[in-house]
Amino acid sequence: MVERLDEGWIARGVRRAPFDRFLLWAAPWAALLALGAYAIFLCLRDGLFHTNMDNRYVFGLWIFLDLAVIALGAGAFFTGFLLYVLRKTELRAVINSAVVIGLVCYSGAVLILAVDVGQPLRAWFTFYHPNVHSMLTEVTFCITCYLTVLLIEYVPIFLKNRRLALKPSMLVFEYNLHKVMVVFALVGTLLSFFHQGSLGGLFGVLRGRPFAFREGLLIWPSTFFLFVLSAMAVGPSFVALTTWMAEKVTRRRLVKDEVYQTLGRISGKLLLAYVFFKCLDTLLWINQTAPERGFPAHRFYEYGGAFGTWILFTEIALLGLVPALLLLKPEWRARRGLLIAGAAMACLGVTLNRFVFTIQTLALPTLPFDRLLLYWPSWQEFAAFGFVLAYGMLVYSFSYRYLKLFPQERELAMTEAKR
Amino acid sequence: MRKQGAEAGTARYAMFIDLDRCNGCGACMVACAVENNVPPPQPAATPRTGLNWLRVFRLNTGGRDAFIPVMCMQCGEETPCQSVCPQKAVEYDPATGIVGQIPERCLGCRYCMAACPYQARVFNWWDPQWPAGMEQALNPRVSVRQRGTVEKCNFCHGRWQAALEKAAHDGESGPVRYTPACAEACPAQAIRFGDLNDEGFAAECREEGVFRLLDSLGTGPRVFYRTSRAEVREATRGFGEVKRG
Amino acid sequence: MFPWVYGFEWHPGYLIFLGVFFTVAVVVAGTVLAALWRSFSAVRRKQEGRIYWHTVFEDLAPEERRCRHAITGELPERCCDREFDCRGCRMHARLLYSDEAGARAASSEQAEVCGISLPLDRYYHRGHTWVREGEDGALLVGLDDLGRRLAGGDGIVELPAPGTELRVNEPAFRLRRNGVEARILSPVDGTVEGPACDGEALIRVRPAAGFRTVHLLRGGEAAAWMRHELDRLQVALAASCGAATLADGGVAAPDLGRSLAPREFDTMCGLVFLDV
Repeated sequence: MVERLDEGWIARGVRRAPFDRFLLWAAPWAALLALGAYAIFLCLRDGLFHTNMDNRYVFGLWIFLDLAVIALGAGAFFTGFLLYVLRKTELRAVINSAVVIGLVCYSGAVLILAVDVGQPLRAWFTFYHPNVHSMLTEVTFCITCYLTVLLIEYVPIFLKNRRLALKPSMLVFEYNLHKVMVVFALVGTLLSFFHQGSLGGLFGVLRGRPFAFREGLLIWPSTFFLFVLSAMAVGPSFVALTTWMAEKVTRRRLVKDEVYQTLGRISGKLLLAYVFFKCLDTLLWINQTAPERGFPAHRFYEYGGAFGTWILFTEIALLGLVPALLLLKPEWRARRGLLIAGAAMACLGVTLNRFVFTIQTLALPTLPFDRLLLYWPSWQEFAAFGFVLAYGMLVYSFSYRYLKLFPQERELAMTEAKR
Repeated sequence: MRKQGAEAGTARYAMFIDLDRCNGCGACMVACAVENNVPPPQPAATPRTGLNWLRVFRLNTGGRDAFIPVMCMQCGEETPCQSVCPQKAVEYDPATGIVGQIPERCLGCRYCMAACPYQARVFNWWDPQWPAGMEQALNPRVSVRQRGTVEKCNFCHGRWQAALEKAAHDGESGPVRYTPACAEACPAQAIRFGDLNDEGFAAECREEGVFRLLDSLGTGPRVFYRTSRAEVREATRGFGEVKRG
Repeated sequence: MFPWVYGFEWHPGYLIFLGVFFTVAVVVAGTVLAALWRSFSAVRRKQEGRIYWHTVFEDLAPEERRCRHAITGELPERCCDREFDCRGCRMHARLLYSDEAGARAASSEQAEVCGISLPLDRYYHRGHTWVREGEDGALLVGLDDLGRRLAGGDGIVELPAPGTELRVNEPAFRLRRNGVEARILSPVDGTVEGPACDGEALIRVRPAAGFRTVHLLRGGEAAAWMRHELDRLQVALAASCGAATLADGGVAAPDLGRSLAPREFDTMCGLVFLDV
């Protein structure tokens, strides 16, 4: 029977939909994947004119989404840090899921970058002839190393598949990798700190873009530290959000409530700290940094429309302070709906922050006789992003179905039946 | 390219553009494209995706038209685009003051384009294509770029190279003199090219009424503009400069 | 990137950057290689069984890891932290019968829990096997009644070959039935002598020197444990198939393999033999 084709691959004690239902779920994602693959093929074969990027909008949807998913995927390293280094053992329930999310986010980002650059085959130049003064070099090195670490962290999860684990050598290797996981967690934390920061530094060092330029500490502009902090703040929120979404789609409980509470509490604290420092930084930028470079800050917002002051207010207050409070107050956090709303708003806020630094920076003219130009992505750009989304959903669905992403699932299923 | 600056003596090449003479004819743009093997635009190209190393903007003066040619400003040693390139495809040459773009190294990440406040850099969104026969008109002294790389004005480096070789052949020493294509083509002689190490030229660049674009950013541009019309100066003044006395 | 490559700069920033990169690369690669090497040596030293049980035990839910003394009520709620190897457990040593006679299994009592027969002349292992002293110092090992009902008439129990080293809590047998495979744990330390002649037992084992049975369940303890097991299985089965099996005082069916759907049978094997 097709519906039970993969019986022996699914773990004992947990229920999964019949195989044909799973195929039905995967089919639309596979179709999106195919469409995205075609768009990517077009760009690689013909050139980047298939996108709506131009000499003014050199970074478009892809770079904005790259930054956003890398910030959201910070949940992988931060959950690992919290679990293996700070010993918050309740997070054992979500670490596997967080690693898969991280893997999907980072591999998707690297894939999109490979399409975004004009000459992907020259990517090794950055490694062979690095320019250490460039933040982008730092990003390239760190992200490559971190993707490797994430792949290594995925291996033990993969090897615990029921059928694979029947082979004793697989189980032994998984066990030994697990024993040294703290090394990878520490390395992952170090790498993530630097690349999240350098992604911020990418824009903070642009002396030619007073909208993005920030002063800072030594060679690192303030955006370096703000990006790290915002990534750490939004990582646990995204893990909570994706776990909740998985519970909704699969219609079963996957983690205990204390896990949500821990993730929400940590995210709320960091988010509040981030909002505080972001306010300080914005005030400094408005009153000193931008005017000193000849650009009073109010001129950046006088275009209204998509780029008015509402964007600043939304980013910091509406999608920064409000979710921080939602996640910090125990009575609010205890209600799942509010917790998830807070987590979603935090994720949106950080995404908006990345949007501001990529798209808004480029929209604004620097030459006095130039004007604000707008940009809307082409279907190929949307489709390529769809490819990453579909790839992520398929990898996650596959991992959820065949691997033990949520160790507490079995236990929760038993307690459910008791009631 | 091998640096031969040490032998010929160093220079600090700069451009001086008189906005009162520029009438927006665009001859400089055409000459630049011809000299530097810039392919003709694709049918789908727009002013935002086309390859224009040199762009002539129309200024909104509220009165009589004025135009301003903008190309790579060849900023000083701390040019914003050099430090950001992850592949070392941007090299400032201290012997000439020219910021060189090395197309063979360029990855096409476009980070330098984001860094440039003058929007002086352009990207090959298409594969360069010349109509049949036109490839015979290509300038052998300028490399042809590939799809997916960044390019920009380099003060006609090929002409500098030719002048250097001629000087070496003729046994001359000292910094070489040459004329970029745009300066040569301008019918109103609005664009002049010189060496800031040459006192006469440098004095002209320091005169009253001579300005540089986006001075407040501290990029150290080497393109100087001059105008006697106040409304033209207003249209080219940076946002904050009004407040800074 | 390397000193002999064009563009290498000998200044602090460059060296620090590349130094950090190479350090990270070496640490990551070295750690992976160390894990690989340790895996090879573990396989060489036949540690797979121990690692298998450790991995399985980690994945058990708290109610599956209940301490035997919590099941019998001697201790308040407690989870086993020694992977069911009570031999080194201080708590267990304190609670062992001081009366040595009582420590030996009673010979003629027979208990029954919801239809599952539980002869008390033997020691029971939490993986549903039993151990009894046989002739000339050998030990007999077999499946308990629940295990036998799972194996049923057409289940195949793969026995370890004579001469195989068995260790407590490591897989010894394999049950194959209806495409389902389950590993059954060994209750003893010893060397397999061969299949047992006694109908009920599976194999004869020469015990290892110094082997003690303190980790096995006996007497009333075994009955309490079996009740706990049936409770646990019923709950877990209700979770997966929604139908109560022993809710109203019924007895377990003689051949569980036939009366359960394949998926439920698979889950039941995993729960009973602790092969999750």
